[in-house]
Amino acid sequence: MTQALKEMSLELFSGEIHALVGENGAGKSTLIKILTGIHKPDDGEMMFSGNGVQMNSSQEAQALGIAAIYQEPMVFPDLDVAENIFISHRKRGIWVQWEKMYDDAHKILSDLGMILDVRAPASGLTLASQQAVEIAKAISLNVKVLIMDEPTASLSNHEVEQLFKVARKLKQENVAVLFISHRLDEVFEIADRITVLRDGEHISTRSVEEFSREQLIREMVGREVDQFYATRQKKKLGKRVLSVKKLSKEAAFTGIEFDLHQGEVLGFAGLVGSRRTDVGLALFGIHPNDSGVIELDGQKVSIRSPKAAQNLGIAYMTEDRRKLGLAMPLSITSNITLPSLKRYLGRFGLVRTESEKSTAEEFKNRLHIKTPNLAHEVGKLSGGNQQKVMFSKWLNTQPKVFILDEPTRGIDVGAKAEVHNMIRELADQGMAILCISSDLPEVLAMSDRVLVMREGRQMGILDGPQATQESIMSLAMGELQESA
Amino acid sequence: MNAIQGLRPEKLRELVLLILIALVLIVFSSVIENYLNARLFNRVSASVALMAVLAIGQTMVVLTRNIDLSVGSIVGFTAYFVGHQLSQYGDMHPMLAIFLAVGVGTLMGGINGILVAYCRIPSIIVTLGTMALYRTLLVEYSDAKTVLTVNLPRWLLDLPSLNLISFDRLHLRVLVVGMIVVVILFQIVLKYTSFGRKLYAIGSNPEAAKMAGFANQRMVLTAFLLCGALAGLTGFMFLARFGNITVVAGIGFELKSVAAVVVGGVNIFGGSGSAFGAFLGAVLIDLLENSLIRWLQISEFWRDALLGLLILISVATDSVIMKRFQLYWARKQARSSPET
Repeated sequence: MTQALKEMSLELFSGEIHALVGENGAGKSTLIKILTGIHKPDDGEMMFSGNGVQMNSSQEAQALGIAAIYQEPMVFPDLDVAENIFISHRKRGIWVQWEKMYDDAHKILSDLGMILDVRAPASGLTLASQQAVEIAKAISLNVKVLIMDEPTASLSNHEVEQLFKVARKLKQENVAVLFISHRLDEVFEIADRITVLRDGEHISTRSVEEFSREQLIREMVGREVDQFYATRQKKKLGKRVLSVKKLSKEAAFTGIEFDLHQGEVLGFAGLVGSRRTDVGLALFGIHPNDSGVIELDGQKVSIRSPKAAQNLGIAYMTEDRRKLGLAMPLSITSNITLPSLKRYLGRFGLVRTESEKSTAEEFKNRLHIKTPNLAHEVGKLSGGNQQKVMFSKWLNTQPKVFILDEPTRGIDVGAKAEVHNMIRELADQGMAILCISSDLPEVLAMSDRVLVMREGRQMGILDGPQATQESIMSLAMGELQESA
Repeated sequence: MNAIQGLRPEKLRELVLLILIALVLIVFSSVIENYLNARLFNRVSASVALMAVLAIGQTMVVLTRNIDLSVGSIVGFTAYFVGHQLSQYGDMHPMLAIFLAVGVGTLMGGINGILVAYCRIPSIIVTLGTMALYRTLLVEYSDAKTVLTVNLPRWLLDLPSLNLISFDRLHLRVLVVGMIVVVILFQIVLKYTSFGRKLYAIGSNPEAAKMAGFANQRMVLTAFLLCGALAGLTGFMFLARFGNITVVAGIGFELKSVAAVVVGGVNIFGGSGSAFGAFLGAVLIDLLENSLIRWLQISEFWRDALLGLLILISVATDSVIMKRFQLYWARKQARSSPET
């Protein structure tokens, strides 16, 4: 197993707002889980107000005064605002004093400058208000360290301002705020100090004045350029296969425009919440777009269902093998032929198992699926082999456009290299490939061009030499408006 | 709009139920001659006395996102068990008999609760299993014999017709008063104790409840224990009311209790509802049943169909009402927050 965090050090002072930045998989979530007592570290120590502490549960973290609020607040939807604030209080006795509770809740919220009906059930509140409730709850529990994990990701500008006001107020009251965000503007606006994480390691901690934006991005991505880089070469592209104009879907993405050619790999880069997967899901008809134009081979098409997408020659390989990708209890063979089962039907509509088997055999040899036999349960294969089965399954539909969503997630280095080779091979054979990946070196190695998204918007398409880790990350964090 | 400002969904539901009950009374009194009389009240209240107690137990379980399908068998078993004991030891103290019923019910509820909370088996499976098991236990224990009224002590047989207060021919009987006490008690527990509020919290968002440090498993077990205890009490009331107890005693009570709970506005997905609502649900169901029987002479099968229909309607309206309600709160909030 890979290590999520290595010798991580972090110091938080009361009365500071400390930003934690890093790209996907840098170890931010793991760190938060350790700080809030959900996970236990294998090694190392934690000091709280000068005393060594060990936390075995989230309750113990709470008792110390460490609380966290998340992008998706953890409220009790059926309980009202005041109850949500006070539900964790132990010292209020057996009996609920409703009027006193409403008064207290009102006081806490108005001290925060929030106007909320304390009697309203939490289910009807906006995300921002739910977060306010969570903050009020933390304050009422005498919070000393408040962790805000991407709290602004789903908020409007006005709501972000409100949240920052509250954060500054907490700072004045000597609370230590740990602020995690993918938005650089916000980090520079609110933070006193910034800590950069990369690949589970602590890279640097400095005060905000000592950081320039360029330097921050460099430190976030600055890993060794790896071997794949060299193998990328400029190819001559074939004719245009897919063309997308002003593709939008409410509450997901808007204004996506790109062309995809035969033999081209178009990389989709962006941070968590950039909505890349939603574009993939729309092109495959799972969550169709609301507006915009999709052209396939110069023909305007409307993709309203996965079936329609498959008929048009589009395949989508999901990032979530377990939930959306494979039927785990079924055999390798059944999984591979599942989307194209129609081709295997014989007389009376029965499946011709012999021809199914020969197809599976073919893919087993072509993609080097390691398995004792093809009747083997897919759920028992390794991640890499499962990925190959998923590949086979969609290749067998003979797609013109192949959308790959995180094709190497959760598989080991060897399998990763095999998958990369496979993608390259398919492109060389003329397939048009759209590759969504959070792994920056992978995107750079695989793609002819890279489309960068940020919070549902297309930030730009980087071509050949323009595409570097720094330029992608700048766009992904909202630094540059539009690249040339 | 101000009138419903402080109303939670369950309050709204209670109000709607009260109106519905009034409507049923008005409609049937116009089609049935001499409908509103003391007999109707006495009959419906005698039947509601049992069902409301059972439904409140069910409410505790449903609030935690679970369900107890074994309550009918628990009612049957405790009724028979206590009846059998009483016919053998006729001088047993009445309080002891009640404790015995509640104790046996609690034990059976505890088995359900442990399997659900600690062995993590879905409650619908567990209680479907124990529904059959408890029933078979009754068959074995009874040897297919019947508890007969003639063998029961006098005080028990007099209990159902024992009146605490009478207005003319309108009788407030002791079983009904017992039920009212249970309703009030559990209404208070759910609304005004931290235990009650945590029960709502767990059903509302189990993950968040765990994060908040609640002992989810123990709470679920407690809900099942209470449900079993109340089913045991219902078993005792069943014995008092009917006297003759066969192996089929209490069959169908599980469905009826779930119906009362759901019609009473307790969310089948947990987190909202009230004891008073469950009581009103039981009243509405029994009132409709009684009235329809008198009006159309409908058969037992039609009564089941009616139950099913009521469940469907109330769950459907629930989701519609909830959506409306949430929209309303959201709009209200948008209005009250300052514009930029």
